[in-house]
Amino acid sequence: MPTVLTRLTWGLFALSLGLLVWPPDPGWAGDTFLRIDGLTRLMAAVTTFVSGIVHSFSRRYMAGARHLDRFYARLFGLTLIVLLLTAANHLVLFVLAWTAMGWVLADLIGHVRGWPQARAASGYARRSFLSGSALLAGALGLLGVQAGTWTIGGVLAAVGTLSAPVVVAASVLLVLAAMIQSALVPFHRWLLSSMTAPTPVSGFMHAGLVNAGGVLLARFAPVVFELSAVMLGIVFVGGVSALLGQAWMLVQTDVKRQLGSSTVAQMGFMVLQAGLGFIPAAIAHLLLHGFYKAYLFLAAGSVVEHTQPTPGERPAPSVIGGLVTLITAVAGGALFATLTGKSLTALNSGTVLTLFVVIAVLHATRSLVRRAELSATTRLWAVPAVLLPAIGLYAAVYNGVGAVLHTLPMAEAPTALTPLHWGLVAVFVLAYVALDRGWHRASTRLYVTLLNTSQPVPTTLLHNREQYHAH
Amino acid sequence: MPTDRSVLRARIENAAEYVGPLWPLQAFNAANPLVGFEDQPFDRAVQQAEQLFGGQGYPGARVFRQAWENGEIDPDVLARRLAEHGITQRPEVLLDRMERDEGDGEPSMPADHPLNRVMTKWLAAFLDQGQADWAMPSREDGFYAAWRTVAPYDTAVPGIARSSDVPATVAAAFEEVLAGYPEEQWESIFAHHLAALPGWVGFIKWRARRGNTPWQEAYPISLVDYLAVRLTLARRMGHAIAPDRANELPVNGTDRPYLPRIWLRAWEESYRSALLGDLRQAPLSTRNGASTDRPDAQLVFCIDTRSEVIRRHVEAQGHYETHGYAGFFGVPMQHQPYGAEERVKSCPPIVAPKHRIAERPAEQHRDRAERYDGWMRLKAAGTQLLKTLKKNVAAAFGFVEGSGGFFGGAMAARTLLPSGLFRLGKTIRDRLPGPEAFAEPTVDREAVDPNDRDGLPVGLSHEAKVLYAEAAFQLMGWTTFAPLVVFAGHGSQTPNNPYKSSLDCGACAANPGGPNARVLATICNDEAVREDLRERGLDIPDDTVFLAGQHNTTTDEIRLFVDEDDPPVPPGALDRLRQDLRAAQADATAERVETMNATVDSGRPEASIQEAQRRAADWAETRPEWGLAGNAGFVVGPRALTRDLDLDGRCFLHSYDWTMDEDGTALENIMTGPLVVGEWINTQYYFSTVDNAAYGSGSKVTQNVVGKVGVVQGNGGDLMTGLPLQSLMADDETVMHRPLRLLAVIHAPVDRVDAIIERHAILAQLLDHEWLHLTVMAPEPDNAFVRYQPGGTWEAESSIVSSSEAETPVSPGTAL
Repeated sequence: MPTVLTRLTWGLFALSLGLLVWPPDPGWAGDTFLRIDGLTRLMAAVTTFVSGIVHSFSRRYMAGARHLDRFYARLFGLTLIVLLLTAANHLVLFVLAWTAMGWVLADLIGHVRGWPQARAASGYARRSFLSGSALLAGALGLLGVQAGTWTIGGVLAAVGTLSAPVVVAASVLLVLAAMIQSALVPFHRWLLSSMTAPTPVSGFMHAGLVNAGGVLLARFAPVVFELSAVMLGIVFVGGVSALLGQAWMLVQTDVKRQLGSSTVAQMGFMVLQAGLGFIPAAIAHLLLHGFYKAYLFLAAGSVVEHTQPTPGERPAPSVIGGLVTLITAVAGGALFATLTGKSLTALNSGTVLTLFVVIAVLHATRSLVRRAELSATTRLWAVPAVLLPAIGLYAAVYNGVGAVLHTLPMAEAPTALTPLHWGLVAVFVLAYVALDRGWHRASTRLYVTLLNTSQPVPTTLLHNREQYHAH
Repeated sequence: MPTDRSVLRARIENAAEYVGPLWPLQAFNAANPLVGFEDQPFDRAVQQAEQLFGGQGYPGARVFRQAWENGEIDPDVLARRLAEHGITQRPEVLLDRMERDEGDGEPSMPADHPLNRVMTKWLAAFLDQGQADWAMPSREDGFYAAWRTVAPYDTAVPGIARSSDVPATVAAAFEEVLAGYPEEQWESIFAHHLAALPGWVGFIKWRARRGNTPWQEAYPISLVDYLAVRLTLARRMGHAIAPDRANELPVNGTDRPYLPRIWLRAWEESYRSALLGDLRQAPLSTRNGASTDRPDAQLVFCIDTRSEVIRRHVEAQGHYETHGYAGFFGVPMQHQPYGAEERVKSCPPIVAPKHRIAERPAEQHRDRAERYDGWMRLKAAGTQLLKTLKKNVAAAFGFVEGSGGFFGGAMAARTLLPSGLFRLGKTIRDRLPGPEAFAEPTVDREAVDPNDRDGLPVGLSHEAKVLYAEAAFQLMGWTTFAPLVVFAGHGSQTPNNPYKSSLDCGACAANPGGPNARVLATICNDEAVREDLRERGLDIPDDTVFLAGQHNTTTDEIRLFVDEDDPPVPPGALDRLRQDLRAAQADATAERVETMNATVDSGRPEASIQEAQRRAADWAETRPEWGLAGNAGFVVGPRALTRDLDLDGRCFLHSYDWTMDEDGTALENIMTGPLVVGEWINTQYYFSTVDNAAYGSGSKVTQNVVGKVGVVQGNGGDLMTGLPLQSLMADDETVMHRPLRLLAVIHAPVDRVDAIIERHAILAQLLDHEWLHLTVMAPEPDNAFVRYQPGGTWEAESSIVSSSEAETPVSPGTAL
């Protein structure tokens, strides 16, 4: 069975790739139940790719496991469910697929059934997912009843006719459902307690399943983008998770929870991008993050190395280095903006996106320029050699995603900059400087708070090793 | 009541005896998890350990059934053993009964344990070695003080508003907690709290004992700290200080006839009689060891069980002689790899290093070294860049977007094309030769750096060199020297594997043995050393050249460290040796892949090599090689005894010639050194197999590396100890490692062996308590087998039949 399902998954990938290049007639499925649009095609290609990798990886990684068939059946089933979810046009079908996705994922978190802690983690995740499904059902039920139609397309077309309270209520429910699925604060705990899952499942989960929150927002963008207050709220919850997840990451001592914290942060950022009105940016982020995180999970066994206790030493800043860094950062941001067709002068929420690229370029350049042991010439060519391909590839993906999603309603809805946006930027810049200067280390309270708030569910910890069971 | 510190310390030491030390993953040495119980008979020890840790001490019915069905347990032996206890049922019935006795045991309900939860949280934070960017504050003050700093903010612990709410010192903490408990009870209190988290406690034990690691120096922790924190927490959190059970220290077990014990003995006896039957086939001429004609080359391998396979196949290629010697080649050294900051111990855990060996670029290869250094600096900058971007609070998001595409490509390549990656790695190494192609070990003595932290002198004095060279040839019993002598250390090759070091050389403290081999080869090529050896009666011919090499135990490739620009041996001879080693690699991998659930085209000799290479490069592979799984025997004697036998990679082989060791010192060294280490390895594999949860580390599939030093299962908790399931089992149902206690077979006069046991309590203890079995093959008059009996008596082996008649093969193959 593993062989067959692995081949099938790669077959689906080939098919999805074909559909991505040669889009089918969107109406072929009759529109009542299914609808293949850009989002469907894109997510299908990405999901089947990561799923194919995870299937192939598990062929060796899970070899000899007792319940291998069950494992593969769930993995493959989950892939199909995600495909169905992205293609569903009927509200009931969408809710059913969403619920099934959570159910099977919880099963996989508890794949090792004889191990009580795995069952506890699975149970916690299942309860989280079921509440998410209930919220989603509430939102879609409300929209369906109010709009008098049971297709997503119909609801989206009718958004303009709905009353503000209905839109607000539905938006809040949708955002909450997305937050649970994407493990945003304060619903992050199921994800940080999910390391009882076999490593490949974690890879698939962090690269694929948590993204469903973003897909949900993309799918219902016309609803959640209807009111700017809701968009600001999305920016806020995304920003909080991005900051907190990244801060949690600093204090984690085990590799998997560290990766989990990073996922919370990256999902926060993805939702933030959606809240800024840039659905393609959010989708590009979630698929690139998916590759990145799946890789790191599958490579989680590689962290063992000889280390030395090194008190943090900071190289003396140099004026020339600083200047080079600043110029490169601005140039990098400008390059990205130009490549992705953003205006360099008009200020709107897209500027925030560009600013994050600037910060990344800035930090990368600083890090390279400071490597004293590299010769000056090496440093000179290393900076563009690292940055140009990275920015180029990202811009290409960004533009590609934009092209595929151009038919999506409300794909791009840049908003005006509000004090909240500026505040957000300010907080991140402040955090960057504080971490760089080491100010955070002065607060023991902050350290303990970060450690305590990122703990997994107590019953999922294995203290008495006798309780462990491998299958 | 003021607490007397020395009393407290002694009580803690005693209580901690029961928990075995746990080495970090960087140097995962083998050790008996029940080392603290070795002063008791095996049977009683495992029963006590079961009370303390809940672990099983004997194989389960499933394992016995597998052995029984594979014919590894001689029915006659089993029937006899059972009859001694008055049991007459059929073995199948007994297997069913054992299975019923074990029961499935309704899986327990997961429950929170607040004390353990808080303890493991702070232990993981304190003992982290570089995983977290923001480490626990105040670690430099020690564990207790650091915990005292964070405790007021820990909402999981009630009633501590400020640091002054907890005692200021460890001593005060003990006084507060132990008030009201009589001193006699302390030890049991300590034992109870130490055994609650044997993984973390074992790691602290290792770190505190090896106080000179940089991490321990910077951030000190001891079991005293651990207990002070734990007991203080227990008091605050309303946990019992003293265990509920009366008198609490493990009580003595019973001697009831216990089915698994009988079955294990029968299995061990079956293995013994088959092995001895095979050894009996050895030509009688070997009674006096050494052969006299000169082979084309002599190759010295580690005593490791994996060497047995490759040695057989090397010998089959031509006129070669192979020998077994502890893989650190008798050089007690600390090694600093080229370009590395860390210094690693490279000798057995029971030996203290005496020399530091660093790697310096050879004069004639400075340009190569510079090229290599340049690339390494670039690589380091890249690694550092990834790390800092990944963790930066603001830059991480843009970084993920810029790098995601590359990670996607790398993921696809590593998953779908592992064999291609192996070839790519080889090409890169060919283009950019590593340190072994341009660096030399600092064998010569250099000035001692007075500022050095552990003050080990760099290099060896002339006297030390002569000593190590002489010891090597004496222990192995050499009289002839071939034109080419190769010392082959060994190391594994496996990516993405936290347990890599457990597959490296156990005699080099879980490091690759190549560096040690280079040191001994350099010593033996030294003219001045040879001069002195000649005076001591070891005449090494002028045309003999010593080479070093490394056996890659994952791919079975043997690399020779030779300066290709200026080879010290005629190129023709070198080429021939390399060709033969390549042929041996093909044969050895063909034998090994059969045991690895692999399907390869047996008609193509390269197919098995490629499969082994794929495993060496595949990040998804949890079973790159079998390590020492299967180990069951330890043969000390000349190779002629075993040369014609296929021992299935289950025996340690130590070369020894009793005729050349009149005063018995060489044998004494072997028995107190390599043999004891063999017992450590064997018990680690034994206990990890019989109870993988309590003494092993569970399945790799759900493991999570914590602090870069250890492994937890899933979300965290206690550290796992021992070996992972995939190192021991062919699949979830079938054991690869047969859990048998090590059987030593020594080819030497009985009185010589007896005298050595007499002199060394450790040996007597292991043998009398049956942690180790011993049979002597007495060369005079007729290679008769004599078995050591607990208590110190010797009994002639009666029931040994020669292998052609034996019903139980020594090498039953694997049950796949």
